[in-house]
Amino acid sequence: MQLLLQLVFDGLVLGCVYSVAAVGFAIIYNTSRIFHVGFGTSYLVAAYTCFWLLAHWQVPLFLSVIAAIGVAAATGVLFELLIYRPLRLRGASLLVMLISSLGVYVVSVNLVSMFFGAETKILLAESAKAFRCGPLLIASTQMPQLFVAMLLLVVIAFATRNSRAGRALRAARDNPVLLEATGTDLDRLYLVLFALGSALAGLAAVLTSLDSGIDPNIGMPALLTAAAALILGGIGTFVGPVLGGILIGLLQGLALWQLSSRWTDAVTFCVLILFLLVRPQGVLGVVRRVEEVAD
Amino acid sequence: MNYVWHLLVLAILYALLGSSLNLLCGYTGLVSLCHAAFYGLGAYCSAILMTKAGLGFFPAALVCVVLTGLASLAVAVPTLRLRGDYFILATLGFQIIVFSTLQNWVSLTNGPYGITGIPIPSIMGFSFDSPLLYLLLTVIVCAPCAAATRMLVQSQFGRALRCVREDEIAAASLGKDVPRLKICAFVIAAALAAVCGVMFAGYSRYIDPTSFSVAESIFILSVVIIGGAGNLAGPVVGAAFMVLFPEVIGFIGLPDAVAANLRQVIYGVALVWLMRFRPQGIVGDYGFD
Repeated sequence: MQLLLQLVFDGLVLGCVYSVAAVGFAIIYNTSRIFHVGFGTSYLVAAYTCFWLLAHWQVPLFLSVIAAIGVAAATGVLFELLIYRPLRLRGASLLVMLISSLGVYVVSVNLVSMFFGAETKILLAESAKAFRCGPLLIASTQMPQLFVAMLLLVVIAFATRNSRAGRALRAARDNPVLLEATGTDLDRLYLVLFALGSALAGLAAVLTSLDSGIDPNIGMPALLTAAAALILGGIGTFVGPVLGGILIGLLQGLALWQLSSRWTDAVTFCVLILFLLVRPQGVLGVVRRVEEVAD
Repeated sequence: MNYVWHLLVLAILYALLGSSLNLLCGYTGLVSLCHAAFYGLGAYCSAILMTKAGLGFFPAALVCVVLTGLASLAVAVPTLRLRGDYFILATLGFQIIVFSTLQNWVSLTNGPYGITGIPIPSIMGFSFDSPLLYLLLTVIVCAPCAAATRMLVQSQFGRALRCVREDEIAAASLGKDVPRLKICAFVIAAALAAVCGVMFAGYSRYIDPTSFSVAESIFILSVVIIGGAGNLAGPVVGAAFMVLFPEVIGFIGLPDAVAANLRQVIYGVALVWLMRFRPQGIVGDYGFD
């Protein structure tokens, strides 16, 4: 029983961090409809920026984290300016945009492993201390993960709920042309979205790497987990990806109960495929017409 | 000279892998990121049958292709109901499940250590034990596959696939059974990938899961996209470019680790550049619109 409680708690903390990434991915995907593989690049770049500042320049942790998030946001802006905007102007399909960002992702993974090496790096040299809280054993890295993630999610929920920006986000998904006709600068909106979504990728990367090592291939699993959380929770709402992220975290925690940790990826994606087949609109999502989902 | 034969074997295998994926991406318009999973299933299945069950090369190959075909059918029937990004995500999910299984089912696949000592393919006592002979075997096996692919895409079936790519609803209204067409294309592509897997296992005689990861799926997709999707020449040109061009870098004399990364940087840049200026690839017909 105590083991189960511990696994549920660990899963919940993990799920909160996944939620941050999932909301970041959702901000981009819900509005631009681009399956932004570059999300993995932002994640990767943030983790390595933080590592580089900490290990080589002995910059304090707090400043490194801020810088890492800033760099992640910058990668998002660059993606929009250099890759997606020219393609959008040419009228390219979303598939073309996906393949382009896949190309950039491949480049970024290999540049990182050229400069930093392919082996696993540890962000924080000293091992995490743990303390008891009732029946639970809480690692010192889990507290910032839990609190930062919670705080951020609450802030975003309020910021997008009834504000002008929140309405613009939803409008941009449903009918970008009409939104532009009402005087909203769509190009600027996309820039803000990519900056915000990628900054969240950066935050998730930093939070995750507080207690797990980083290697050049962390971007893809992070992207896929975020996308899976979005689909599990449901596309088109804000609560969807948060719920999806927490569900995946809990699921991975519970999978540890019966299976070894090596099977978590397989379990996650089995559930994802199951969901895609049985309930493609997710737990909370709205049923959409096939044509709307497809393109 | 052996090195040249080695490169040719690889180029032929990637050309066939690319051609099989092209049936899906180029002709049917379904971008799949799990081709390395079927390639890996073929390779692992033949390696296990040959080392543990003691089957010969050709019987093992036959069993493998049938098994992989069945596995792909099991994947195709549910996932092909999904469209667009959902289909791509489902194929990625399947790729990760297969990779994770190869990596973790240690009693069957020997996990990360891989399978060693795969016997050299032989037929009636004649063993294909030099690179030149293996090149011969590769041609003997792959030529009929290539010919079959060619016949397939030029037949009524191939035209129907292209029709599905351009407009599913129009295809259905002309009486084409769209789901069945897609499933057939998926299974045929997977079976061809399994053939490549068997050939790869027999050639390298050692396989481990890292050869069949998501990165490999992206690589095979790049073969199709860089060469050009939607016609027969595309994947062949793509495979030649992807396998032979990096050798030019090899001559500059960079350390191995850097050279491997540099190759991938080059093909990533090629993907981005092509999508921007020439989405149909070097010689392709279909620009993913």
